Amino acid sequence: MTTIPVVELENLKVRLGRREVLRGITCRLGVAGTGKAVGLLGPNGAGKSTLILTLLGFLRPSAGSARILGLDCRRGMGEARSRIGYMPENDSFIGEMTAVAFLRQMAELSGLPPKEALEKAHEVLFHVGLGEARYRELRTYSYGMKQMAKLAQAIVHGPELVVLDEPTNGLDPAARRRMLKLVGEMKSEQGMNVLVCSHLLRDIEQVCDEAVIMRDGAIVHQCNLEEERRSNRRFVELEVAGDDRNLRAALPEIGAEGVSEGGGRWRIVLPAGVELEAVWGLAARQDLLVRKLTHRRDTLEEIFLKAMGHLAHTPGEQAERVS
Amino acid sequence: MAVYKRGYRRYRGPLTGRWTRFMVLPRYAWQRLYQQRLVILLTMLAMVWPVLCAGFIYLTNHAELLQGLDREFRQFIQVDGRFFSIFMYVQAGFAVFLAALAGPGLIAPDLANNALPLYFSRPLTRWNYALARLTVLVGMLSVVTWVPGLLLFGLQVALAGGWWFWSNWWLGAGMVAGFLLWLLVLSLVAMASSAYVKWRVVAAAVSLAFFFILSGVAEMIDNVFRVDWGHVIDPAWAVNQVWCVLLGVAPPAGPGAGPSALALAALIVALAVVIERKLRPVEIVS
Repeated sequence: MTTIPVVELENLKVRLGRREVLRGITCRLGVAGTGKAVGLLGPNGAGKSTLILTLLGFLRPSAGSARILGLDCRRGMGEARSRIGYMPENDSFIGEMTAVAFLRQMAELSGLPPKEALEKAHEVLFHVGLGEARYRELRTYSYGMKQMAKLAQAIVHGPELVVLDEPTNGLDPAARRRMLKLVGEMKSEQGMNVLVCSHLLRDIEQVCDEAVIMRDGAIVHQCNLEEERRSNRRFVELEVAGDDRNLRAALPEIGAEGVSEGGGRWRIVLPAGVELEAVWGLAARQDLLVRKLTHRRDTLEEIFLKAMGHLAHTPGEQAERVS
Repeated sequence: MAVYKRGYRRYRGPLTGRWTRFMVLPRYAWQRLYQQRLVILLTMLAMVWPVLCAGFIYLTNHAELLQGLDREFRQFIQVDGRFFSIFMYVQAGFAVFLAALAGPGLIAPDLANNALPLYFSRPLTRWNYALARLTVLVGMLSVVTWVPGLLLFGLQVALAGGWWFWSNWWLGAGMVAGFLLWLLVLSLVAMASSAYVKWRVVAAAVSLAFFFILSGVAEMIDNVFRVDWGHVIDPAWAVNQVWCVLLGVAPPAGPGAGPSALALAALIVALAVVIERKLRPVEIVS
């Protein structure tokens, strides 16, 4: 059976004015129809939003090609757009319309018959928690409600792929949790593919199965977060006092490896089955005084920092290669 | 089952066709426009003149009612090209105000609320969007221009008989064509001002001022350079020249219908370019 990637880029270059924003990206992301999420990570100006706008057909590639759900972003966008839902980063709505009317219009524009569009508008507004406010004009909504309304319009027509540009921007913790829960449900319960663009590592790690890290208009790292989670590796931040020069060489004794960040600070990756007590024991044998020992599970941060050039080496990378 | 109990499920049913989708924007826009009292009031006011014209047509076709009138006057009041041109001048004026009132509310809010990315992320191209907005205006202005005009034409045919139609059919065709040309110019001006000025009130003022300013500039060119071709840049004057040819009425002095039509075509192209440049889902700053 042939699998169609959600996004397929072939030497994609995009130029805005004189500046080349995307510099020859080649990659395949996700598999259509699998209900998985792909995260686009990167600092501001990395080219994430430009990539999304190109995939939506808003920007023309200066070279190369981009395909979304197997359809060319230049020629096949008419069909692709009825299968895509897009939630832009900035405020986008028609202030004078009620939420129901707005969503109904958007659903009809995507090709739903009027009666079904009205039904789906009500359904999706209840789904995102705006059921009680659905007859209010959108301009009277709070910022968090507007974000939810934007998500609602992106999924009202039941797209195969939902593109979310910074979905949790400006949300309070409760609203952020709700937004991420909804995104999670979109993949697990509705089988939608999701493409999330964000600079928040925790959001990507929480909802995505695959992550792509961008910097300066290029992809610097691509990883499968699902596999990372399955590998069950644990990361430890260790801070010691004393002569720690031999610690790196001693770490393999307990099957671990790590990297010194200077000043007695270490990042250590523990393989499955090795407990934290082993680190305490190793530190005692090395005659080191443990000042801090923090257990971390945030693997994406390590990967991201390395991709950005802030870490010379990612703990665990070697272990991954050996295994 | 109540909608709040049902929960969200992805829509997997059949999709509507291209033309049904195209008409979504005009449908919603007309619904919103005719909820405005001013629009309804102006539309109703614009119907007064056609009703009076209908009365006039009735009178001219009932000779017994005109017995007491002067013979020269009876010859003067006839349903001909001059009658339809006067009808068109009045209705064209109403159309200007209606376009200025309704036009800016079509694009300006979409730009102010950054709604274009939402439209264009759906199966709707920029040209579809612009055409849909144009359809809204042309449709709404048709109600006060060529539609009542055609009804008057039909009334005259009904009262005067088939012979009148065979000798004057070109009056009806000319009136419809002339009105459509004017509606195209008006709609594009309203859309372009609405695309450039995001505030609705200012866009309406710009849309109105456009005609007055160009008329003034045309007058100035003619007087300063002692020429008569300056008038072609006044769209109202240029359209009038074309109408006169279409209705077989003596045109005012100045450049003929050909140069006027060319000037109008240039204006239409320029307005289309302006709209094309502004209707983009993302603004690129180079």
